[in-house]
Amino acid sequence: MAATLTATAPAPPRKLLASRRTRVGILYALPVVVYLLVLFVYPIFSTLFLSLKDTDGALTLHWYADALTGVNLSVLFTTLRISAETAVLSLVFGFVLANAISRLKPLWAGVAMLIVVVPHFISALVRTYGWIIMLGDKGLVNETMAWAPGAPFQLLYNELGVVIGTTSMMLPYTVLLLYGVMRGVDRRLLAAAASMGAGRVTIFRRIYLPLVAPGLASAGLLSFILSLGYYITPALMGGPNQTMIATLINQQVMKENQWNGAAAQGVILLLITFAGLLLVKLVTSLGASRRKRSAS
Amino acid sequence: MAEHGVVTPSVKTAGATSATTTGKALSVVALRKTYGDVVAVDEASMEIAAGEFVTFLGASGSGKTTTLMMIAGFCEPDSGTITVGDRDVTRLAPQKRNLGFVFQQYLLFPHMTVQENVAFPLTLRGVPKNEIRKRVGETLEIAGLSGFGGRKPRELSGGQQQRVALCRALVYRPPVILMDEPLGALDKKLRDQLQVEIKTIQQELGLTVIYVTHDQEEALVLSDRIAVMRNGLIEQFDTPRELFERPKTPFVADFLGAANFLPGRIEQHTDEHTLVRLDGSGGLLKARRHDLASGTAVKAAVQPGRLRACAPDDGFCTGTVEVATYVGTLVRAGVRIDGGDAPLLRLEVPAGRGPVTGERVGISADPEDVNLFPTEQDG
Repeated sequence: MAATLTATAPAPPRKLLASRRTRVGILYALPVVVYLLVLFVYPIFSTLFLSLKDTDGALTLHWYADALTGVNLSVLFTTLRISAETAVLSLVFGFVLANAISRLKPLWAGVAMLIVVVPHFISALVRTYGWIIMLGDKGLVNETMAWAPGAPFQLLYNELGVVIGTTSMMLPYTVLLLYGVMRGVDRRLLAAAASMGAGRVTIFRRIYLPLVAPGLASAGLLSFILSLGYYITPALMGGPNQTMIATLINQQVMKENQWNGAAAQGVILLLITFAGLLLVKLVTSLGASRRKRSAS
Repeated sequence: MAEHGVVTPSVKTAGATSATTTGKALSVVALRKTYGDVVAVDEASMEIAAGEFVTFLGASGSGKTTTLMMIAGFCEPDSGTITVGDRDVTRLAPQKRNLGFVFQQYLLFPHMTVQENVAFPLTLRGVPKNEIRKRVGETLEIAGLSGFGGRKPRELSGGQQQRVALCRALVYRPPVILMDEPLGALDKKLRDQLQVEIKTIQQELGLTVIYVTHDQEEALVLSDRIAVMRNGLIEQFDTPRELFERPKTPFVADFLGAANFLPGRIEQHTDEHTLVRLDGSGGLLKARRHDLASGTAVKAAVQPGRLRACAPDDGFCTGTVEVATYVGTLVRAGVRIDGGDAPLLRLEVPAGRGPVTGERVGISADPEDVNLFPTEQDG
């Protein structure tokens, strides 16, 4: 009896402390919880309800059927296509840029990162108009390319224009993400590979690329997801054929006062985003398990 | 540095293996590298035979790593040539030199398994898959890593990782394997164990190894020959026994043998011996024959383990034991020599008949163990 008493004696104060800590923890978490409930959970669920509500208040999938047929469906596909193109291009340019920056001395790398990131502080609207001025028929690009056959080139109000615009908007994200990953790669590993006889191409393909692959996946996914909902640049730099889903949502809300259809498209956008996240997760885990299998 | 005295027997066997060399594996001629005004490596030259285990030994900044990096191709020499076999590789990129390199930080590829790491250099050489599997298996077995092939490097301990790195460097049988303080990141016990393993593998496979370390004991255990480096210069390149018993410079005598230095002047020569009149005590020290003119100011270097305590006035000098520390098999003593204000003479004598503090002792030494250096050859 005495033994059990002494054994349990120190426990109560610890328990008390734990519960007090828990209470304090809840107190600290409260602002975040409220914030999330008000600004995240509530809007999502209200959008969801909106998208499932018919004009007379009954539940319906009518808005989804609407969003996935005819013009709306082709807009959805356009959105996916442009987002994919943007993701690939911003990955390629981001990779080249981040790779170059990661080889610079820290001071110059800092300056280069600043140059990449600072434009992002400027309003997207201003940057988009900047591009429109640059890419117009009488713009800087066409003026300097005037000697080329076929000039002036149509660089605006088509898919090329949209992709140029969105890619430039996404570039800071991919560069920042990839730069972080590349900085984390131990350069001496590349030297080690060279010491064994690996040439530049082999080192890049078999050592460097696999080591930065996780960064590539997340950077690509990020720019894809961000492009999905991008509004200003596609709206201003694209033509009627480049209408993206965000533009469509805007039209429905602002011009047609059609909130339910807009909500349905918003939910679809959200689901595509989740699907993208899931896909990347799946691909990386699949790759990992395949490597494990081939090793054993 | 009592360990050195203890280590000497194994040095004998290590020295003997250098006789079984066949042909030249690598030679370095007048290699020089400067960083601004600092001369990192100054006209280093050496020839290394196939199957030889050579160590560059020196403190940090002695130029040992720079020399290794130049041989590996990670660092370009200002002048000089590096030849592997019969091939001048001085201006070749590292990947074209076909050398093996083991880094202190292991540098295993984290995204590959142990097996893939070791197979990597073979895949570069277009070795068929079956052959790769066989050779990787064999190599891992030699290093005692069978069964670890499927693991990722991060799942291994430091010692295991370094074994994998070793496998990766020797699996493609490069003519020379370079090792840059490969055991530097490991604890003492593991280091001792891996030293033996490295030496065994090197001898079994007849590998030519160039090894860089700052640890004298490690150098003595492993090497057929040691290049003692200081300030970018190779002070002496010899077998451990030669370095230990016939140091060419006071630095080598001090660095490897932790020798006592006794200032004096050459008095006369006999056929076999040179007699030195010591400053301060005025004792007459008999050394083996050195070709130095009479009257030359010299420093006589004798290692603590090679000095003997005898009856007062029987040796070349007499003094009082000031400290005597029992360290297991040995007693380390510090003796204050009569006359002059020389630093304590350090002695290491077998523990059984060790001197005790306050005892009057004479000091004697075998003439063969006394090395003389002219004083102006300062170290």
